Amino acid sequence: MTNPRHSHVLGLITHLAKQLQEYWFLFILLVWQWGNLPPLWRGVAIAALVFWFLVWPITKWATLTYAVTPDAVIIHSGIFVRHHLHIPYPRLQTVQRQQWFYLRPFHLETLQLETASHEDSQPEVRLPAVPTSVADTINAYRRQTAEPTATPHAPSAAAPDNPAAATSPAGPSYRITRRALTQFALTSTGVIPLVVVLLGIYGKLPKSWENQAIDQVAHYALPLLLGGVIIVLIIGWLGAYLWVLLRYYHFTLTRTGDQLETVKGFFQRNTVTAPIARIQAVRFKQNILRQWLHLQTVQVLLASKAATDDDDHDLVLLPAITQAQLYATLHPFIPWVPATAPDLTDLAVPRQARWLLSRNALLVVALPVILLCWLWQPWGWLSLFLVPLAYFQGQFAARNTGGRRLSADLIVLQTGHLWTRETFVVRRRQIQSMEVNFSVWMRPKHLAHLTVNVRHGNSKQAIELRYLPAEQVQALYDWYTH
Amino acid sequence: MSPTSHHLPPRIKRIWGYSTLGSFLFGLVATGLLYWAQIGWHWPGWLVVVSAVITLVEPIVEAGLIPYRYRFTRYQITPVAVEIQSGMVFKKRLAIPIARVQDVTLKAGPLLQWQKLTQVTVATAATSHTIEGLELATAEQLREHIMQLAQEARHD
Repeated sequence: MTNPRHSHVLGLITHLAKQLQEYWFLFILLVWQWGNLPPLWRGVAIAALVFWFLVWPITKWATLTYAVTPDAVIIHSGIFVRHHLHIPYPRLQTVQRQQWFYLRPFHLETLQLETASHEDSQPEVRLPAVPTSVADTINAYRRQTAEPTATPHAPSAAAPDNPAAATSPAGPSYRITRRALTQFALTSTGVIPLVVVLLGIYGKLPKSWENQAIDQVAHYALPLLLGGVIIVLIIGWLGAYLWVLLRYYHFTLTRTGDQLETVKGFFQRNTVTAPIARIQAVRFKQNILRQWLHLQTVQVLLASKAATDDDDHDLVLLPAITQAQLYATLHPFIPWVPATAPDLTDLAVPRQARWLLSRNALLVVALPVILLCWLWQPWGWLSLFLVPLAYFQGQFAARNTGGRRLSADLIVLQTGHLWTRETFVVRRRQIQSMEVNFSVWMRPKHLAHLTVNVRHGNSKQAIELRYLPAEQVQALYDWYTH
Repeated sequence: MSPTSHHLPPRIKRIWGYSTLGSFLFGLVATGLLYWAQIGWHWPGWLVVVSAVITLVEPIVEAGLIPYRYRFTRYQITPVAVEIQSGMVFKKRLAIPIARVQDVTLKAGPLLQWQKLTQVTVATAATSHTIEGLELATAEQLREHIMQLAQEARHD
């Protein structure tokens, strides 16, 4: 595979489809202006479209070649400006494979490679329709060239001499249960944007229909309206449920040596491989619905944007796992995560400081609520609903804030923002910087805010814990700076 | 912060003073333009008044705060970390371990150059932080120290 190769002809379809998806409006423009164009210009326009939608993508496909050498992946691309990209294996963060069902019979897939470079939000390399053996070879080479110092936890059997051994998973593996997946899909907050869109459409229905309907059944107007809203909610919720179900269908996590691999999806099987040594932090996430069901989602923060379609663009390791099993299940995959649930009371908000979080939340909503009540009557009064919401959000944050230093190299931090509890497990060497904030009024009360910055995608994840005991924060700061 | 931390070089106060003067001049120009617009195109008169008040008050407040700003901004460079402390009412303490530093940028505008000072920006893989002014020698020392550490193998 050391010679430059083209991707499969089916990859051409991807190129064509992408061009069509991005510039479909040019067709509309042509049809719309057809009558106004003189015959000569009609010809020119058709020629331009044929060029733009057929010749250009074909040329692009024809000029894109790749080679997998023992040291690096090499990509040649570009028509007028030729790009030659070399990615040495130690620099690879994640290898992502996406296989649509129609490519399965041909053993083809889309391959995405990512490094930690700050370039932009696109993956460095995207190869549509290449044989599945390409990714296998890359993964095998990557394991061979893994820096020994960067993988202190790798078992001795980590680096197979034979690339073919890459396909046989040897470590622990986890498969999502049907029950957990259903609960996970049912409690997805993905329903919210969907409902907003549907309500938008509902609101855009021609007024005449609505008036007609309301005129005909004037005394049913309210039930009709409510019924509409309920139908929208049900459709939105079903849609979100199906969406999650299809994306996380047969979710599997396996560990092979020092690499983690997740596989998921129904129509599109999505496989992501990431080295354990490259994990910046582990995050457990739980919205308030899932808190009631004791269900957690485990994600890892990486220095690349693998998995752009996952929650918050972070690679999901365990989509839905019960709180009781979480640590025991995760520990075999990521050895530095503790095997049992740690006690997080060291960094809790003191009881007498809890009201401060509610006060701050109330201050944030105060001005909009006052303005709405004053300027937009009578509907503005509805905004008063925000007041208890803000109060309880403050209490939620106070109750869920927690953390502890587990060892000389590991801390666990927990926050409660926006009705979501997030727990981070971070190693000391992955903390990029630490910040302590306190106002002159907090000092006599011995309180301080703590911010821990870790790398996340191409930017940062600031983990902020507010109103903690100052001595505990100071102790953590001293631990970090010494 | 421990007694080994330092204030910024005292000359930075002069630079803050000049930058205050700069914002006063900018305010004067803006107010003048608004006045012109009021005469020429009958823009409302209160715009000129508001602009004039801001032009007068903002530099006075800024200039008045300079001694405090100086007093409460400190930095410390130890063999293992860069620490920055700032803020009077809302205090902030920041630590960046030198092993986490990806690059150091020295930057100086005309004023800083004239005073032989330079701004130092320390960037990690996730965040970047600025010390407003350091002696050229100190800044270069810091940069050398970090570059030296960077020679050792790093795995990110």
